[in-house]
Amino acid sequence: MRVRLDAEACQGHGRCYMLAPAVFDSDDLGHCVVLTESVAPEYEDAARQGVENCPERALSFAD
Amino acid sequence: MAAEDANAAIVPEAEVVMELATSTDPRAVARTLREQPVVQIPDMFSLVTRRHDVEDALRQSSVFSWGAVGMDLGNVRPLIPLQIDPPKHVKYRRILDPLFAPKRMAELEPDVVALVGELVGRFSSRGSCDFHEEFAVPLPCTVFLRLLGLPYSDLDLFLSLKDDIIRPAGDLDEQARRRRKAGDTVYEYFGKVLEQRRVHPTDDLLARIIASELDGEQLTDEEVMDISYLFLIAGLDTVTDSLDCFFALLAQEPEHRRLVVDDEAVIPSAVEELLRWESPVPAVPRRTVQDTEIGGCPIPAGEQVMILLGSANTDHDAHPGLDRLDLTRSPNPHLAFGGGVHRCLGSHLARLELRVALREFHRLIPDYALAPGTELQYTPGLRSLHTLPLVFEPVA
Repeated sequence: MRVRLDAEACQGHGRCYMLAPAVFDSDDLGHCVVLTESVAPEYEDAARQGVENCPERALSFAD
Repeated sequence: MAAEDANAAIVPEAEVVMELATSTDPRAVARTLREQPVVQIPDMFSLVTRRHDVEDALRQSSVFSWGAVGMDLGNVRPLIPLQIDPPKHVKYRRILDPLFAPKRMAELEPDVVALVGELVGRFSSRGSCDFHEEFAVPLPCTVFLRLLGLPYSDLDLFLSLKDDIIRPAGDLDEQARRRRKAGDTVYEYFGKVLEQRRVHPTDDLLARIIASELDGEQLTDEEVMDISYLFLIAGLDTVTDSLDCFFALLAQEPEHRRLVVDDEAVIPSAVEELLRWESPVPAVPRRTVQDTEIGGCPIPAGEQVMILLGSANTDHDAHPGLDRLDLTRSPNPHLAFGGGVHRCLGSHLARLELRVALREFHRLIPDYALAPGTELQYTPGLRSLHTLPLVFEPVA
């Protein structure tokens, strides 16, 4: 599973890295940083949580 | 002309917008409005009702402008960053966002925990309280004063200023007069504070804003004042509103409260769900600066638009199941803090306060109910309560 961030769309709601800190982190602004674009199987559920909770639809699955 | 106006419904009354905040069931009011993507209230504004269109309008910040709204908040210059449009808006947010990032806000948690304990301690042995007056109002206001490094003795002044700006008493003329007077006092107050800070520098949020640079230059005193002014009206009321809404609901629906009391791990998702369900800020204003369209409905330039966050949050045509309250809901990509570039700057502070309040209050007082005979009266605009009398077993 691969996760893709549209950095233009991210507005720093912070839902992804609060829900899935193993996959997402924040920069100084509080905007999303994807830690591992290629998500290990054990973190797939967490990654899905982060992607699906983004109010701006800034996160998506690449494949 | 209604039939030819592709999809746009015309509603003659502005009351329907008030009801989105004042109704005991704003979800039902929104459901009716969502029958059309855009609802026009002639000579007042157009309402954007559906989730997809709300996202669309929030994202197009240069077409749906905050700066052009011209809302009277007693201020003489635009409030920063709210009433500033991109591209300048982005520069201010680059300064301010780091100061309100989640990691920064987490440092405040011990202080908020202590404050909640202190507030509850004042009424827990009584077996009753006015939750609004004794908890929902003082909690965010005290946090705000501490954050900015301002004295607790100014609490009453701040409360009366924000009330005179957000819900002034009297007829329209009197309201404008009160707003103006409160605005003058706010400028005067922060003017004096800035003078003091130059002589006696401090280490708090205000100090960090004063020390900020934009394009290599320090912010002017006016810019710092215009930021502080916005904090005063945006930071105090909305957390009070949210606390009122949350605790009124939990007082009336013990099965939901039981979930929070029995398993504190549910609190983060409960906060998100209560924000979605209650949407304490039911709508946010914008003004179009060019001809545009939403959901197939043309909207001319210069139109005042209300973007209905609460309606989008309960749009079960967009996401099935949103017409039910579920404190364990996942996913829950709600828009209670708005969206696009104006996403609520204080959202992470609000979340911290709401989570800590839910956890600590229920540890101390797990069971409570509305005082007998209470009829809840929600306020228009921002959804809070005039009073929220609760009764419970006195705690020794």
